[in-house]
Amino acid sequence: MNISELWPGLDQARSTGLGAHAERRWNRVEVDPVSLQVIGGALHSIAREMAELLVRMAYSSVMRESRDLGAALLDFDGRQLCESDSTPMHCGSLPAYVRGIDRKHRGRYRPGDVYLHNHPYHGASHSPDYGVLLPLFAGDMHVGFAGCTGHMVDIGAADPGFSVDVPDCFAEGQILDAVKLHAAGQRREDLWSLIMDNVRTPEANSGDLEAMIACCRLGGERFAELIARHGLDQVMSAAEEWMSYAERRMRSRIKQLPDGEYPAPDAWLEDDGKHFGKPLRIATRVIVRGSDICVDLSGSSEQTSTGFNCPFEGSVLPAVNFAVRALLLDETAEGAGVPQNDGVFRPVFAHAPKGSIFNPIYPRGCEARFAQINRIPDQVLRALSGALPERVTGGNAANVSCFVYSFESGEGKYRINVEINEGSYGGRNGRDGLDAVDTLMANTRNNPLEEMELSVPMLCERYELRDEAPAAGRWRGGMGAVKTWRFLEDAAVSSTGDNRSGDPPKGIFGGADGLPGRVTVNPRTPRERELPAKVSHARFTAGDRLEITLVSGGGYGDPLERDPRQVAEDRLDGLLSIKQARGSYCVVIDPVSGSPEIAATESLRRKQAGEAA
Amino acid sequence: MARIGIDIGGTFTDLIACGGDGQVLATHKLASTPDDPSRAAMQGAEELLRKAGLGFGDVEFCCHGTTVATNALLESKGAKTGLITTRGFRDILHIGRKNRPYNFSHSQEIARQSRPLAPRRWRMTVRERIRAPDGAVEAPLNEDDVLEALARLREEGVEAVAVCCLFSFLNPAHEQRIAELARRELPGAYITASHEIAPLVREYERFSTTAMNAYVGPATGRYIRRFAAALEKAGVPAQLRLMTSGGGMVAPAEAERRPVNLLLSGPVGALIAGLEAAREIGRDRVITLDVGGTSADIGVALNGEMRMRSLLDTRVGDYDVMTPMADIATLGAGGGSLAWLDNEGMFRVGPRSAGAAPGPACYAKGGEKPTLTDALVVAGWYRAGHLAASVPGLDPGKAEQAVREHIAKPLELEPGQAALGIFDIAVSNMAEAMCVASVSKGFDPREFTLVAYGGAGGAFAAPVAAALAIGEVLVPPHPGVGAAAGLLSAQVRYEFKATLWRELDELDCAGVAARFDEMTGEATARLAGDGFAPGEVRLRRWAECRYAGQGHELAVEAPSGEINAAWANRLRERFDAEHQRAYLRACRDIPVRIINLGVSACVPGTPLTPLIGEAADRARPEPLLTTDCLFPGVAKALPASFYRRAELEPGHRLAGPAIVEQTDATTVIPPGWSARVDRYANLLLTPEPARNGNAA
Repeated sequence: MNISELWPGLDQARSTGLGAHAERRWNRVEVDPVSLQVIGGALHSIAREMAELLVRMAYSSVMRESRDLGAALLDFDGRQLCESDSTPMHCGSLPAYVRGIDRKHRGRYRPGDVYLHNHPYHGASHSPDYGVLLPLFAGDMHVGFAGCTGHMVDIGAADPGFSVDVPDCFAEGQILDAVKLHAAGQRREDLWSLIMDNVRTPEANSGDLEAMIACCRLGGERFAELIARHGLDQVMSAAEEWMSYAERRMRSRIKQLPDGEYPAPDAWLEDDGKHFGKPLRIATRVIVRGSDICVDLSGSSEQTSTGFNCPFEGSVLPAVNFAVRALLLDETAEGAGVPQNDGVFRPVFAHAPKGSIFNPIYPRGCEARFAQINRIPDQVLRALSGALPERVTGGNAANVSCFVYSFESGEGKYRINVEINEGSYGGRNGRDGLDAVDTLMANTRNNPLEEMELSVPMLCERYELRDEAPAAGRWRGGMGAVKTWRFLEDAAVSSTGDNRSGDPPKGIFGGADGLPGRVTVNPRTPRERELPAKVSHARFTAGDRLEITLVSGGGYGDPLERDPRQVAEDRLDGLLSIKQARGSYCVVIDPVSGSPEIAATESLRRKQAGEAA
Repeated sequence: MARIGIDIGGTFTDLIACGGDGQVLATHKLASTPDDPSRAAMQGAEELLRKAGLGFGDVEFCCHGTTVATNALLESKGAKTGLITTRGFRDILHIGRKNRPYNFSHSQEIARQSRPLAPRRWRMTVRERIRAPDGAVEAPLNEDDVLEALARLREEGVEAVAVCCLFSFLNPAHEQRIAELARRELPGAYITASHEIAPLVREYERFSTTAMNAYVGPATGRYIRRFAAALEKAGVPAQLRLMTSGGGMVAPAEAERRPVNLLLSGPVGALIAGLEAAREIGRDRVITLDVGGTSADIGVALNGEMRMRSLLDTRVGDYDVMTPMADIATLGAGGGSLAWLDNEGMFRVGPRSAGAAPGPACYAKGGEKPTLTDALVVAGWYRAGHLAASVPGLDPGKAEQAVREHIAKPLELEPGQAALGIFDIAVSNMAEAMCVASVSKGFDPREFTLVAYGGAGGAFAAPVAAALAIGEVLVPPHPGVGAAAGLLSAQVRYEFKATLWRELDELDCAGVAARFDEMTGEATARLAGDGFAPGEVRLRRWAECRYAGQGHELAVEAPSGEINAAWANRLRERFDAEHQRAYLRACRDIPVRIINLGVSACVPGTPLTPLIGEAADRARPEPLLTTDCLFPGVAKALPASFYRRAELEPGHRLAGPAIVEQTDATTVIPPGWSARVDRYANLLLTPEPARNGNAA
């Protein structure tokens, strides 16, 4: 069907499944149900094994501890056959990386070639996320790719790591547009030197990049073994069947939603990292037609003049896909056993007008994109809250808080650490929000504090749930954390993120709103000052403290319906006071026993309900 | 005199008794008694000894594998657990590594938050701080804070306390003092400190391990004391030994001190038994496949030694626990695993299980859905009147009906084809898991011997071996009580680890030697306390290293000899080689950093040597009967001969297709495979050369 028929007025709408179906280099054969399981299981374990190796071999803490990486096998059209269970952002963007290198090299791949790509206007998620792709062959025929992506600590941007206040994508680091790192099995040493001579952390980057190459090689070897065992036609036909299967599962869920438009209220980002106090709009509507679904971001802010824009192919499309998959095919519920492959992407479309924050025009900066794109799944939840009230959540932190700490130790040596901080979920139907976890598109790990302190001159003074009570609700919102660092040496610091100060996570169905985050320097001293979420080229001196308070999610449902015993439990756990239990939940707690006084609570709640009516 | 092994599983308690010469005197199996597992153990021991014509007074050695700690965890019946930690870090257990188990799920639960080992109300903080990298005191311990926290925990009736301070692995002084005060102030409580349990870098994992130790500590201690008392009362002269997750035996006092080490001991026994059985016939590369009712456990061992899992992969259930564990993969494929079609018609086997009740359809206990066991019945391999009729009245009709209704009809297959499909999917899942457990760690499975355990291990072993081109399958004489047999040949083993965090080039040799000596001293003292002479103890030194900048360490055995520059060079060479093997690459120009030092001390176990007789060629034995069965890859039914295992003698040869029945297990020799009975009464299955193992 023509796109404009499906999405009138949205000519630019794109399927999040980027793989074309132009041709087939194998014969489509009938695969018996048993072989289908056998090959499907093998594909998944190949991707997992690839990611495992990458984590183990990687050097930088952002890859090995945070696991900000992904791995997959793709066919020659970039259709994803299988992916590792790592960060959704990464795996979802690999098909776009294939498009990026395909436009320069399609038809000229040779066995033993290795490609490196990070061009944010040609498929990269953003430029620090290097993509390594290894073309796969059956005999002398190119049939696919083994690929992985990983976040590099530093790629030679204007500031160590990154900074948001930059004029264009060139200031965000070296762009490597589908360069051939290995030609027919030989590393191109001049190119390698060129890359490593232009970054601040060549040792970590070399180690990480070598790990990525080894990861793809492993994927290639395993894939070759699979083909040797079952034959190319069987393997690829089984892979196609698994993609169709995932597509059918996704379509049958979309079809259950009535056709129509589902707008979400506008959401707001704090600023672009330079023009503080000027919020940016996120406009969202979800459109359902039959078994297709589109997330339309028309009406969102114009692109910014800083690095606070989102690569469309490499970041927006995976975010939209994630938004739909996680909601409609929840892995722990109806979506169990649905593999994350190209089929899941096909019925899901995205639209963002050219020149907007979600579809910027080259060469605008676009490194700092996560705070925006992670709002997309949150907005989709808001849009569909009426249609799927049991499945949606209260407002989630839906942001990122990413800091880079850089210490210069002379002679051009840097110690750089990238820290990705967590958020929290809104309350869910039947469950409280998850506290202090990565939300939605993000699923990285923290650096162990002990590892951090052994590696960089910083000392952590606090890492706990924040002091304020969680957002009230029948199911309370998740709680953000607070982390306080003391610098032991002078440091350069940049950050990106969004504290949700103007637009905290919204409560749903009567739940209370969540709480914004904040960044404070030298808290509770005469030198205390607040910083914005996006700090560019800041300097700290030894002895300074940095306190990062992270966003708390919104509540779900009427707090007056929360089980008084649960409120009392939260109070015992120090999450709220007796006064707050009474104020927010109308629960009366006996200060001696700590138990709820049921009769007093009921009468207070009746009274409250009467007043409300 | 007798040595007895008692393995308590979720459903059955298995026992085995051996004479001093290693001869198996008796085996026994009875239903477990989950409310007090020692009841079935004592009753079983009595019945076992009676079978062997012996009494409790004859027991000179008693080793026990217990799931008491595991059950306390799984049933959320652990102790009321408090935690004392550094001020500012109350929620390390709650936040963890801040990741979620699932990417695509808004409804998921995170166990560390919804079912915390130590709830927030009992997590107390005290002013103190040790700093990196030298363990200097940043802030002294405030003992008033400690006393206040302990008073509060006492008031709350907390039964166990985990003491978890930042950087205690560099300097344990604060933890030691807190623990000392806790033992004084809460005399009845179980007190454990993180530097005693896992003195390793990474605060969340260390705290979680320690909290787990506290959580299962009181229940495990009570159980061990009760069981030891029962043995003593019965007149057993031997001291009780317990199996750990790392495959070593420990004395009751050690088990009580570090019960977290017992949590995954269940599947270890079969791996040890498999190693032992293979060693007897001169094989030192072993993969074990233990197929039980709900799951299949896969272990891979090289050079006759089990491998430990990387401490970054060690979890128990939903919790992170950093303790030595044998590297055993478990997948949801057992006799009770269900075969089903999902709502898009995809054909799946497991991990859903029919469990003990209603169980497989053929048990006729109300189960209507087809299971793996039902598939084996439809294929004809399990027959009514099977010796292992632990369930009397096996009903093949019900099995066929279940397979026909739920699988064959919707897929438009014959029931027999559907049954073989169920079987094939399970085989492929097992082979896939085995591939990940071997190939992904750099081992070539073709060089390994596959040893089958469990009631159904022998039914799957040959096709799984064929899928991975493994050329030899060993089915020991008593596969159904493999774990119990493994207990008898296990080593007594203690492991100690300490974080060093030093680059190899900048090694403080005297310091390293001192750390090794300290751990060696502790290990030998512990073993001396258990009654072992220094001469019996085998000591090994380990170093867990990484390339500077990497985050994940690999363990290599440390070279022997004096710690000096040459020693460091030899260690470097070993590490490069191990890295090359594991990750296909070595980085010889990057400095190597030692993260942890380790010492393991063990007293070798007594091998089982059930030499039955010389394996002179004998005539083919007479089959019990011959009947048509289905086999994968073969279009029509083939006549298969059925044999009784007890009637097979060394030297007997069988040609597939054949089925060997015994009271606790079934072995299937597919077409294209043959088997012989060796002098240890093992069944050795090999593919016939002409077919090259690819019968499936």
